[in-house]
Amino acid sequence: MARTLRSALLLAPSAILIGIFLIGLVRLIASSVLIDGQIDLHHYVDIMNRPDYIAMLGRTLRTAALTTFFCLLLGYPTAYYVARYQGNRNILLLLIIFPWLVSIVVRSYGWVVILGPRGLVNGFLMWTGMADRPFKLMYNDFGVVMGLVHVLLPFMIIAILSVLMQISRNLEEASMSLGGRPFYSFRTVLLPLSLPGILTGVTLVYLMSTGAIVTPLLLGGLGDTMIGTEIFQEVMHFFDYPKAAALATVLLVTAMAVVLPLQVLERWLSKRLTDGAPS
Amino acid sequence: MIPRYIGIAVLLFLPMPILIVVLSSFTSAGYLSFPIKGLSLRWYAEFLGSADWLRVLGTSALLALIGAVVSTGACFAAAWAVVRHKIRFGATYETILLAPLIFPHAAIGVIMIVTLSSLGWLGTFSGLVLVHCILTIPYAYRPVAAALRKSDAALEEAAASLGARPWRTFWMVTLPAVRPGLVTSLLFTFIISFDEVTVTLFLVGPFVMTLPVQVFSEVLESASPIIAAVSAALVLFTSAMVFILDRVIGIQFFVERD
Repeated sequence: MARTLRSALLLAPSAILIGIFLIGLVRLIASSVLIDGQIDLHHYVDIMNRPDYIAMLGRTLRTAALTTFFCLLLGYPTAYYVARYQGNRNILLLLIIFPWLVSIVVRSYGWVVILGPRGLVNGFLMWTGMADRPFKLMYNDFGVVMGLVHVLLPFMIIAILSVLMQISRNLEEASMSLGGRPFYSFRTVLLPLSLPGILTGVTLVYLMSTGAIVTPLLLGGLGDTMIGTEIFQEVMHFFDYPKAAALATVLLVTAMAVVLPLQVLERWLSKRLTDGAPS
Repeated sequence: MIPRYIGIAVLLFLPMPILIVVLSSFTSAGYLSFPIKGLSLRWYAEFLGSADWLRVLGTSALLALIGAVVSTGACFAAAWAVVRHKIRFGATYETILLAPLIFPHAAIGVIMIVTLSSLGWLGTFSGLVLVHCILTIPYAYRPVAAALRKSDAALEEAAASLGARPWRTFWMVTLPAVRPGLVTSLLFTFIISFDEVTVTLFLVGPFVMTLPVQVFSEVLESASPIIAAVSAALVLFTSAMVFILDRVIGIQFFVERD
C-alpha cells in the first residue's frame, strides 16, 4: 500500500503536466464546436464553404507531401552513408545533430539570406551577369519547400540512421556473396529491415511540415498561406479564436489520419522484426 | 556509390545556411546582404548595447533553466515509478508521456492558448514555464529512463544492507550512477526550450518575450543585420551545448535506440 502511494506521488508531477495538455486538447475541440453551450458546426461549415480555405488545405497537404518525399529521398542515402562510414563517424553525426539543434528561426532566416533579392544566389547571378534583376526565389512554394526540407531533414536522417546502425553489415554482405546484386540485396534485405526507421521519419517530417508556421511565414510570406500560417493570422491579426480552434482541429484530424496508421504499422513491424531476431 | 555523393552533399548542405547567417552578421552595411559589404562588429555592439535584447535573452535563459529542471525532475520521478516500482501499465504511461510529440506545433499553440487563458496566464512568464515544461517532457523522459534502466538496483540493496539510510543510498549510490542521464536530459531540454518558437509565439505578450520569438518577429518586420548578430549568438550558444553534450554522453546518444 505504501508502495502504491509512493508510486502515485512519483507519477504525479508528470501526470499533472501531461494532464493539463490533454485537458487543453479536449477544450480546444469543444471550443470549436460549442457556441453558447450549444453544438454549432458553423466554423467548420464556413471553412468548407470557402474556396480559399480549401485551396489552403490543398497547398498544406501538397507542401507536406513534397517535403516528406524530398526528405526521404535525401535522408535515406545520407543515413546509409553515415551508418556505413569507416572513419570517425562522430564528425558526420555532428554535421547532422548540430544544425538540428539550432533554432528553426535561425535556419529559416539563413534561407532568407540565401534566397532573398539581395541574397547569395541572386548576388551571384547578377555579379556574373547571368541575370540583370533578382529572381523571385522566395515568397513562393519553391522557397517554402526548400526551407522545410532543410529544417526537417535531420529528423528523417536521425530516424533512419538509428535503425540502420543496428542492422549488421554482415547481412548485406551475406546477401551479396550469395550472388545478390547491390540493388537486389538493398531491396530484399536492407529496405524491409529499415522500414520502421523510414516510417518514424516520414511520420515526424509530415507532422512537422503540416503544423509548421515559422518557415512558411518567413519564406512564403502571408499571401499563399498554409494551415499553420492561417491559424497564426486568425490568432494574431483577427483575434478570431473559435476560427483558430476549428482550423487547429482540422489540422489535428488531417495529421492524425496519416500519423496514427503509420505509428501502428511501425509498432507492428518493429515488434515483428525484433521477435524474429536472435537476441 | 550514389549514397556517398548524396550523403556528402547533404552533410555540407545542412550547416550551410547557419554558416551564412553567422558570416552575414559581420557586415558593416545598414541592410542585410550576402556576400557582405565590409567587415565590422557594429551589429554585435548594437545587440550587446541594447537593454531590450539583453532582457529578452535573460528571459529565455531563465525560462529554459526552470523548464529543464522541472521536466527533468518530473520525468526522473516518473521513470523511478515505471522502472523501479514496475507499476502496472508502465509501458502505456511511457507512451502517454510522449504524446506532445505526435501533435502538430500549430495545433499545440492553440491548445496552449486555450489552456493558459483559462488559467489567466496568457502572456505571462508562468504561462511560458508551464508550456515549456509540457513540451520538453518527451525529451527529458528518454535519457532519464535509459540511465535508470542501466543502473544496478542490486548496488542500492547492498548499500542498504550495509546500513546506509535511504537518502544516503540515493545520494551516494543511485545519483552518481544516473548522473549522465540527468545531465543529458537537462542539457537537451534546455536547448529545446531555449530554441522553441512555433508554440511560444502564440503565448508571448507585451510583458514577456523570448529570444527566438523576438528574432522571428524582427525578421518579419525588418531586414536589420542585428538579427544576424543575435542569431549568431544563438548559434554560438547551441554549439557550446552540443559540445558539452558530446563530452558528457557522446553524440552517438542521438542515434541510439533503446
